[in-house]
Amino acid sequence: MLVDNPPEGFLRIDFDRGRSDPTFNSHIGNLYARRGEKGTRDEFVLGFRVRPHMCNPAGGLHGGMMMTVADLVGTMGAGALAGVRKFLPTVNMTFDFVAPARVDDWVEGRAELVRVTRSLIFSNIYLTVGDEKILRASAIAKIPSGDGPTFGKARLARDEAAAS
Amino acid sequence: MSSIPPGFRELTEATGFAAANGPWFEKIENGRTVRAFRPGPQHANPLGIVHGGMLAAFLDSAMGAAVRQALGRHAVTLRLSLDYLGPGRIGDWLQAEGEVVGHDEHVAQVRGRLYGPRHDVLTGLGAFALLSRQRVPTVRS
Repeated sequence: MLVDNPPEGFLRIDFDRGRSDPTFNSHIGNLYARRGEKGTRDEFVLGFRVRPHMCNPAGGLHGGMMMTVADLVGTMGAGALAGVRKFLPTVNMTFDFVAPARVDDWVEGRAELVRVTRSLIFSNIYLTVGDEKILRASAIAKIPSGDGPTFGKARLARDEAAAS
Repeated sequence: MSSIPPGFRELTEATGFAAANGPWFEKIENGRTVRAFRPGPQHANPLGIVHGGMLAAFLDSAMGAAVRQALGRHAVTLRLSLDYLGPGRIGDWLQAEGEVVGHDEHVAQVRGRLYGPRHDVLTGLGAFALLSRQRVPTVRS
């Protein structure tokens, strides 16, 4: 088992608590999250270490992996910034593939809220390696009416520790 | 449930992300490339339908394949805009295809569509950078 060696403060997201078959978010993993001070650009940061199973034939990080992580940042991340704890289905995403990433790079994803309405969250998303942007995305996520579908089983290891 | 419709071959040459999230299939029909896969539990999101990221990755691959088929050039994705139309169901046979709607020497514009047996799942529009005719992406293991 390779060690991802995440930077200080990142906790692995356990998407499949108590589930026998891993779902996509675990299958592609590992994915990590760090919560920072409210209102700062680091309020919600998703992170992962690039592994060979995330790569394309040219040996760079696969666009599908970038899009998957950006999708999570636009739903889970933007939802966290907006204070919405529901499962948010994605309505639209637009991606610009700005630069490649390589095996062993540590990639981070951050969302910026553009506007939150009663039923939609508009956000901008960047994936970065260090100071370099590798993906720019713009996302629209739907806020389901009522309670909507439950958020799922994802939790940070820290929440798990606090709950037990 | 697990049968493969006639004419499709498995993309056994897949590596990395495509291999880890396969198997993916392809057939050439009337000069068009159609890609397909049958999602399993490993492709699901917490709601039990196919993850949007997986759908995006798959449509992207089909649109890239359409560029190769139509123009004989390898291409990398510059930009992709996707609209999610309906859920992709686990166990359904999902197909994706692309159509080159315009291009010059450097960039191709491609329309893409991903659909299941009952309805459209995802529609997309992308710009793909065409690699030089001599240059085939180096494959690293």
